[in-house]
Amino acid sequence: MSANIRPAGILDTNYAQDIALNRTRTDKLISNGLFALLLLIPLLTTEGPFGLNLIQQSWIGIIIRIAIYVIAVQGLNILVGYTGQISLGHGAFVAVGAYSAAIMARNLGLPFWLIIPLAAIFTGLVGLLFGLPSLRVKGFYLAMATLAAQFIIPWLLRYPLADFTNGSRPLEVPIPTLGPLSFASDAAMYYIIIPLSVFMMLAARNIMRTRVGRAFISVRDNDLAAELLGINVFAYKLQAFFLSAFFAGVAGALIAFETNSLSLDKFTLNLSIEFLAMLVIGGAGFPLGPLFGVAFVNLLTQDIIPARILPAVGPVLPGLLPFIDPVNINAAISPLLFGFILVIFLIASPRGLAYRWEIFKIAWKIRPYSH
Amino acid sequence: MATFFEQNKRYLIWMGYILLAVVLLLWLGPLIGEKRPSRWVQTTITGLLTGGIYALIALGIVIINKASGVFNFAHGWMMLLGGFIFYSFFSSGQVSLLAAVLLSSVTVIMVMTMGSWRDLLQPRTALITLAAIIILILLMSLPGTEWKFVRAIAGGVTGAMLLGLVVERFTVRPLIGQPLFAMVLMTLAIGRLLQGFIQLTWGSVETPLQIFTTPEGTSLPTIKLDSLQELLGGVAIIQPGLLISFVLALLAFVGFVLFFRFTNVGLAMRASAENQRLAQAVGLRVRVILAAAWAIAALLATVGGVLQGGATNLSVNMPLLALLAFPAVLLGGLESISGALVGGLVIGFVQEWTNLLFPGTQAHVELAPYVLLMIVLVIRPDGLFGEKRIERI
Repeated sequence: MSANIRPAGILDTNYAQDIALNRTRTDKLISNGLFALLLLIPLLTTEGPFGLNLIQQSWIGIIIRIAIYVIAVQGLNILVGYTGQISLGHGAFVAVGAYSAAIMARNLGLPFWLIIPLAAIFTGLVGLLFGLPSLRVKGFYLAMATLAAQFIIPWLLRYPLADFTNGSRPLEVPIPTLGPLSFASDAAMYYIIIPLSVFMMLAARNIMRTRVGRAFISVRDNDLAAELLGINVFAYKLQAFFLSAFFAGVAGALIAFETNSLSLDKFTLNLSIEFLAMLVIGGAGFPLGPLFGVAFVNLLTQDIIPARILPAVGPVLPGLLPFIDPVNINAAISPLLFGFILVIFLIASPRGLAYRWEIFKIAWKIRPYSH
Repeated sequence: MATFFEQNKRYLIWMGYILLAVVLLLWLGPLIGEKRPSRWVQTTITGLLTGGIYALIALGIVIINKASGVFNFAHGWMMLLGGFIFYSFFSSGQVSLLAAVLLSSVTVIMVMTMGSWRDLLQPRTALITLAAIIILILLMSLPGTEWKFVRAIAGGVTGAMLLGLVVERFTVRPLIGQPLFAMVLMTLAIGRLLQGFIQLTWGSVETPLQIFTTPEGTSLPTIKLDSLQELLGGVAIIQPGLLISFVLALLAFVGFVLFFRFTNVGLAMRASAENQRLAQAVGLRVRVILAAAWAIAALLATVGGVLQGGATNLSVNMPLLALLAFPAVLLGGLESISGALVGGLVIGFVQEWTNLLFPGTQAHVELAPYVLLMIVLVIRPDGLFGEKRIERI
């Protein structure tokens, strides 16, 4: 939380001010304005009602992807950043959310606004199940237990539940409708996903301001002391697992409705690693950390690497390093850069971008006196 | 009621285990009875033979954990990279001199300056360094196919040492003192980095590594257990590649265990694993020992990668194998070297038996080891031979 870094001049006189989301009127104006601007973006593309060409159509897809991933990573943030438990199985929980939403839409024909919370609750219960080992083990052992989830859940989806999930073949998801409205295009889905994503971010922030959130942080900082204070450590750990999987379930359901076609190849261990990497790059334990991390990694992998780095590096690399086969550069550049950036962040800036952002905000507020 | 449960908790838990075992037997017994005895023998043999590789992988993970308290999720990618380096030296008739010079000189200098670069200033060390570099270059650039094993072993060992030292020096050492989470993520990041490097250099197609062949280049004949045919009601066969790799894996395993038990360096490693500060206080150079542990683990990974590559192929599926060795590590106990052997064999055994009893579900590949892991975690988190520790949860 940012509460421990506070610039001079902003003084709180009561508790409500101390925990307020927006401390000043300017803060409130800026955050609401940004939200309104975000909602305007689809109107500015060529396919919008005015036919403007201010923003490229492809950016809608990128923003949607960021908004969905932010929900999943925020869930991981609750578990890893705030409660201090390691999870290597978050990708599998997203898969549970996606597939349960798809099955509910296909086989039960429920409307999507009912499916999303139902899928999230179901995923939360699955997460609770795999959180049970935290009763006995912690640290590395818990990482292994969650890694087991990453192997067991996709296997269950692929083989015993193949009648519902189509096994290894892709599963079609019906297009969500609301009365006469049909959310087929990206721009239409945008207006479901963005408000929901903002809502989930606010929800996470609010959970962390309550008794539950403070209990999570105390479990992370010192579980023995937390227990001594009367906090039921195990119950709160399970709550953290539930909430984390709940967020993953929302993200999974949105993925199902957004892509309209699910395949199990997406939800591998690599996805879990990417979630963790996004969290660390953004800053674990900061409310805005997931946003920074997801935006950074997604912009890098969706836009900067394929559009800028690859055309620049591709022709030069084989001449520079003679042992490289030019055919492989496209496939290899992404994991190479991803791993490299993660290593750099872990060594140079383990607290992530959100921490830098806090530092920057303070430096800005107290300028020109930097100390 | 509550007091009754409290008083007899141990017995009740044991009765629960026995009940579970009986149910398991009743469930699996008929399935086992359906199969012919020859399949039992076949499955057991194949399982134990594949388990040898798991044991080797598990040993590499245990060594790093013992020395530096890091769980190396990148072990599988280190295996694959080692296997590919071996393959490059093995398959090409003549390695370029520049590559040989670079690889050997960088590696030897890094090995010699593990403690401090000033060591190089001593004339004796400098001379040894130079001699080692020249010998390695000569070994690596031996021409012709008849020397390919010498060439490949020299190149593979050098490459593995370099890999371990680089990983330790540039990624693990800066993180000393950071929380466990950072370390876990760091090894995962190293895995991605190595994946990118491998894909860049060798591509992602499956590459056969034909090390288990007759001198003429044909594949070895399979071994049939004909004499047991009457008894078993069928023929059990042994894949020669699997058998050789099992024997080599066991030899490597025994070699490293002896190294730890009977050499000064091994003793120093055990000491620093036991208590780093104390080891430093009695004059051991813990930094050197950590670097050496990573080099040894990379060497083990390379041996495992080459053997597995010889038994099947060099492919991007190999890192999965290392993830399946984690249940073996936990089953044996995180600090136990003999536990790594037992755990590895058990994992291979369980995998093959699952394949026999539940065919067509692919359950044996990923599911069985991890179900076993969950059982171990719930019943006995310290593993069979691990240190008992009282940890506050």
